[in-house]
Amino acid sequence: MSEEIRSPLAGKVWTVTVKEGDTVEEDDEIMVLEAMKMETPVYSSVDGTVKEIKVKKGDAVEEDDVLVVIE
Amino acid sequence: MHKYFKNMDVLGKPLKDKVKQRTQENVQEVQQAEQEVDAAKEKIKEFGLPTEKINSRGQLTIWQRLEILIDEGTWHPLHVLYNPADNDDCTTNIVDGLAKINGRWAVVVGFDNKYLAGAWVPGQAENVFRVTNLAKRLNVPLIWVVNCSGVKLPEQEKFYGGRRGSGTTFYRHAELEQMGIPVLAGIYGTNPAGGGYQGVSPTILFAHKDCNIAVGGAGIVSGMSPKGYFDVESAQELIDVAKQYRATPPGGVDVHYDETGFFRYVFEKEEDLLQAMRDYMIKLPAYDPEFFRVDDPKDPKYPTEDLYHLLPVNPKRTYDFEQILARLVDGSEHQEFRPDYGPEIYTGLVKVDGMLCGCIGNRQGIMPKGYPEYADYPGIGGKLYRQGLIKMNEFVTLCGRDRLPIIWFQDTSGIDVGNIAEKAELLGLGQSLIYSIQQTDVPMMLVTLRKGSAAAHYIMGGPTANRHNAFTLGTVATEIYVMHGETAAVATYTRRLIKDQDAGKSLEPTVEKMNELVKKYHDTSRPIFCAKTGLIDEVSALKDLRGYLQAFAGAVYQNPKSICPQHHLITPRVAKG
Repeated sequence: MSEEIRSPLAGKVWTVTVKEGDTVEEDDEIMVLEAMKMETPVYSSVDGTVKEIKVKKGDAVEEDDVLVVIE
Repeated sequence: MHKYFKNMDVLGKPLKDKVKQRTQENVQEVQQAEQEVDAAKEKIKEFGLPTEKINSRGQLTIWQRLEILIDEGTWHPLHVLYNPADNDDCTTNIVDGLAKINGRWAVVVGFDNKYLAGAWVPGQAENVFRVTNLAKRLNVPLIWVVNCSGVKLPEQEKFYGGRRGSGTTFYRHAELEQMGIPVLAGIYGTNPAGGGYQGVSPTILFAHKDCNIAVGGAGIVSGMSPKGYFDVESAQELIDVAKQYRATPPGGVDVHYDETGFFRYVFEKEEDLLQAMRDYMIKLPAYDPEFFRVDDPKDPKYPTEDLYHLLPVNPKRTYDFEQILARLVDGSEHQEFRPDYGPEIYTGLVKVDGMLCGCIGNRQGIMPKGYPEYADYPGIGGKLYRQGLIKMNEFVTLCGRDRLPIIWFQDTSGIDVGNIAEKAELLGLGQSLIYSIQQTDVPMMLVTLRKGSAAAHYIMGGPTANRHNAFTLGTVATEIYVMHGETAAVATYTRRLIKDQDAGKSLEPTVEKMNELVKKYHDTSRPIFCAKTGLIDEVSALKDLRGYLQAFAGAVYQNPKSICPQHHLITPRVAKG
């Protein structure tokens, strides 16, 4: 079963902390977004494996955009 | 009321090992910065004559005296780096802080007799005023270790006279006494003139056998030269007379114990004097803490060391404020006030050593969708919006009514701006909060976790709340400025850039000025600068923050000027509904 980790805000991708195939646990940091001059971390909401990373550093994202898919 | 205060809601959650690993770099950065602050403080502590030299004269240093006077583990220093006059040779030449003496909280202050035998120096008066204000705000005894040689003569014009000169201290002592707050003085050494009044203005005088307090000094050879100037010939005359002149400083024990009775007690040994002051503390007013406790004291559920992982030194990095609070308050427990309103602000009731306190702090990160409700732009933690301002006004007013002290935590970039924000009444709501604070007359303290800026630094219980803010702490991540330096550079130089470009001039010189301004803002907002200039009262290590909260709560509840019975408190009932 897949879980889509969505952006909580409109901003830019600052850093991506994981890569496809990584094992993650709930609350692991998977990337950091930049908006309004602040760096906001995005955490995994589930345990699993990173199946797909849909963004890269510097990409602009909107609220609710899918960032990462975790299986 | 036990259902309100025992087993309150739990804040925060434990840190996972992965989180600790990920934030290890932050831990190291914080610890390194704290070591730099410690080194700066140690340099000041070591300043002046070596301890051995003072001891060889049969005297103890201020630090040795404090060690005997104060209960072990209860010293919470303030103003260590404070040097408002930017003295090259010293800071303010006094040492002060909050401490327990024989189980009772007190504001403790003493002259550093390692430098000029504890002389008055520029900037010292401002330090003393903060100390007397602290005793006044907390309503606890002021305990002096007096060893004051009087004015540092070559610089007297900087502090002798004026409305806020060193003589104002004596009026401050009288003011405390009129309020029923005792000032105890342990007196050592020679204390002429200003030192004499330092010695005589407190309430109870404990004298060492070799001390003196007097209106004037030992009687220097008449200082005024008949020629109106000095030359080598007159210098030689002075030498010849002075070598033969032996004067005993006036106002010793033979006068002020045997004759006038100003000295209540006299002691042979320095240590005995300090022990007597310790014993005397029991005679001063203080409630048993049980009178005010709403619960048994307990440690936070999570270790204080976690703070080094939780508070990012990177000012752009967001964090969870409640995780920080969970490491500072009893049992990591709280009762949040209006959690569904004003999400950018945390307000709630917490316990410190079993004593109930109000707590207010800035949350960080992006706010829920649709907030602030009056604007079409997103809300971000650190900024203040309409609901948060209203909530703070309500909570402060209720804490005032319930006589609850308030602990503020700031990490704020300011109040929302623009016409949309103006129409939402934010300017008026900000001043309303100031009015609300002024109405309370309860003690408050502030921890500037990171940013304290713009009007938000003023209105969120900042040191500008002079009558209410007992003291303000910073951390190694603190930065205080009206706005970020880059914003200031834009505000200051954009018009110039346009003019330069329109005139066909190079933009480089103005760009250079902009970068200089950014650097200046950076340099003048760092924690050590803030402590030196008094924007904060002390830079605290993260591991020591809870200790300061305990000192604050303990002192506030030791002998408060007003009481609200626990079963008459309204704030917890409003919070619960």
